Amino acid sequence: MTVAYFSPMPPEASGIADYSALLVPALREHVEVNVVKRGAKRPPRGTDLAVYHIGNNPEVHGWILDALRRTPGLVVLHDFVLHHLVAGVTIGRRDGHGYLDAMEREHGVVGRLIAHGVLDKRLPPLWEARPEEFPLAGEVLALARGLIVHSRYVERRAREAGFGGVIARVPHPAWPVPDVAPAEIPGAPLIGAFGNVNDSKRVPQLLEAFARLRAEHPGARLLLVGATSPGFDLDRRLQRLGLQGDGVVREGFVDEQRLWALMAACDVHVSLRSPTMGETSGTAIRALTLGKPLVVTDVGWFSELPEGVALKVSVGTHEIDDLAASLRLLAERPDARAAMGAAARELATTEHDVHRVAAHQSAAFERVAGGGAVADVVLREVSEAAAGVGIAAGTPEASEIARRLSEVDLGG
Amino acid sequence: MRIAVLRPQVPFARGGAEIFTDTLVDELRARGHDADLVSVPFKWYPGARVLTQAFLWRMLDLEEADGERIDVVVGTKFPSYVARHPDKRVWLVHQFRQAYELDGTELGQFGPSPEDRALRRQVQELDRIALGEATRLFATSANVAGRLDRSTGLTAEVLPHPPQPLPYRSAPSEGFVLSASRLDRAKRIDLLLEAAALEPAVDVVVASDGPDRERLETIARERGLDGRVRFEGRVGEERLAELYATCSSVFYAPVDEDFGMGPYEAFLSGKPVITTTDAGGPLDVVHDRATGLVVPPDPAEIGKAAAWLREHAEDAAAFGSNGKAIADEVTWDRAIARLLS
Repeated sequence: MTVAYFSPMPPEASGIADYSALLVPALREHVEVNVVKRGAKRPPRGTDLAVYHIGNNPEVHGWILDALRRTPGLVVLHDFVLHHLVAGVTIGRRDGHGYLDAMEREHGVVGRLIAHGVLDKRLPPLWEARPEEFPLAGEVLALARGLIVHSRYVERRAREAGFGGVIARVPHPAWPVPDVAPAEIPGAPLIGAFGNVNDSKRVPQLLEAFARLRAEHPGARLLLVGATSPGFDLDRRLQRLGLQGDGVVREGFVDEQRLWALMAACDVHVSLRSPTMGETSGTAIRALTLGKPLVVTDVGWFSELPEGVALKVSVGTHEIDDLAASLRLLAERPDARAAMGAAARELATTEHDVHRVAAHQSAAFERVAGGGAVADVVLREVSEAAAGVGIAAGTPEASEIARRLSEVDLGG
Repeated sequence: MRIAVLRPQVPFARGGAEIFTDTLVDELRARGHDADLVSVPFKWYPGARVLTQAFLWRMLDLEEADGERIDVVVGTKFPSYVARHPDKRVWLVHQFRQAYELDGTELGQFGPSPEDRALRRQVQELDRIALGEATRLFATSANVAGRLDRSTGLTAEVLPHPPQPLPYRSAPSEGFVLSASRLDRAKRIDLLLEAAALEPAVDVVVASDGPDRERLETIARERGLDGRVRFEGRVGEERLAELYATCSSVFYAPVDEDFGMGPYEAFLSGKPVITTTDAGGPLDVVHDRATGLVVPPDPAEIGKAAAWLREHAEDAAAFGSNGKAIADEVTWDRAIARLLS
């Protein structure tokens, strides 16, 4: 089977590019994979299935959505909330009407009115302010012949949005342990948080919790790695919490090698976010590979991590208290860190093993590529048999047959 | 309890699964249960017929029969477990192997076209759904349970079952190797014939029938084995027990077999088993130089093993005795107690 593979690829700076670079060689053990060039409009001749990696970043995924519009295929849905992508390929291309239509298609007349407010700059951009309320995944779901998702959360959201096709839930692949020495950063313990420094990554809450930990454990350090989002005044917050000086170590965007070295240096990894866009965290997966204990927000994919590898903190009034308690527990219990780290490593090498993931993904490719033809044959044969004994469409008997077919996923 | 044992039936074919399900019904009845066999014909070709035939099971209403509730249904092999029931237990004999480990081999069914690939995956999905509904899930061997785990992620408890009831007994060896497996290619009886061709000390009795018989008889003829290989066809219970009792060893070496009653039948007759390293289920109980000989799937190795067991009667008897101790532990009382617990 030949697959046309639409995805960002290195050197493009994208977590999904890294993901595909890891996965494609393993997929090639099962199917022929043609990685199409960025900007390609259609799959090459001889393709059995087009596979589209869709995420929320319009710079990275806009051209892939354009190709999906021309040739429906299987979508690997990396985010459920696609508002930013839709805004990028409409407003970002001076197509305000496209944005109005997208909002109306999924949220009715009220959605269109709100979209007018955004276009007229009377409302803040929804993709920044309230994207989770307006996910705008409908067009992608309508074009998808099947979905690969990484979490029950996204599977549920897709079903709730009315997607009736094949959904394969396949874990995010884990990278092999890199051959890299840990960076030399002191900390007892060293707590790492990787990714953009902003509100949605719960950095304000993390800083407050870390300040409490540091009051009790002066040797503790927090390593913040990633670009600071515009408008987020990190320095002022550090000053207010008394964390200026050597309590917090800052590094901006780093290359892959440095990222692994920094991650390897940490005793504990914190991966927080709210709201979730339905995404999986590549850095959390890397932490599993390295056998590091995790502290995560109890949302979306993060909620689905096994209890043994992550402490989960709910968003709400007790968030900072719970976060501080989690950090304290891991700071004071090296045995707990070791046990969680071992469980993390085990999870990375089993559930998230790249060869296992590739086998499951290629199984989904095969189901989707020829699945329509199989469903047609099954339904034709069953309907002919039913008609042969006088069961007509619309009768209770026909409905029961349809229900039973649907139960076993045979296209009823 | 009122129990329906579910079995797909390939008309005119009879093998281990049929013997197993017939015996299960008898044994349930012997323990006071109101048990019956529910059988639906099965044809797995061409194309999507495998799915539509499997779907027949889904349309059955097995919650009650003649106004009386059926308490438990017991699915066995594909696709019987596609049936619905609030207490569906599955004692898995095997999945539809063409969709799994036989895919891509000469015993496979699905080609490389997108439609065939999707069909194979749909069979797997059907398994995942139907077996996932089971209230208790058992597999006849560690091999079957392992395949299930790898293919669907479902965990089955290993529950072997006793072999068919024969008047088992042990008697002095008359020096021949017995093969009582059904004659189809997957049982690889040709390996034994080739072994006999290489090893003049090996005589063979083939006591079964099946679609591979003509080919096997041709091999025997072409290798000049007339007089040393005897095809007895399908024999009665008494004759089969006599052959087990008087052989020097039993050959049982299918490819990646699910369970295989052959070793248990051999052991209950106090005889060692020759099997191969790739035989699958039989390796649960055939342990090299403990209950038999485990050799590579190579005629020369099989020939040497057969000759060695013939020449070393004491060792062969000890292996058979060890095997009997294992087989004696596998009883219907124990199996049914677990099945219905």
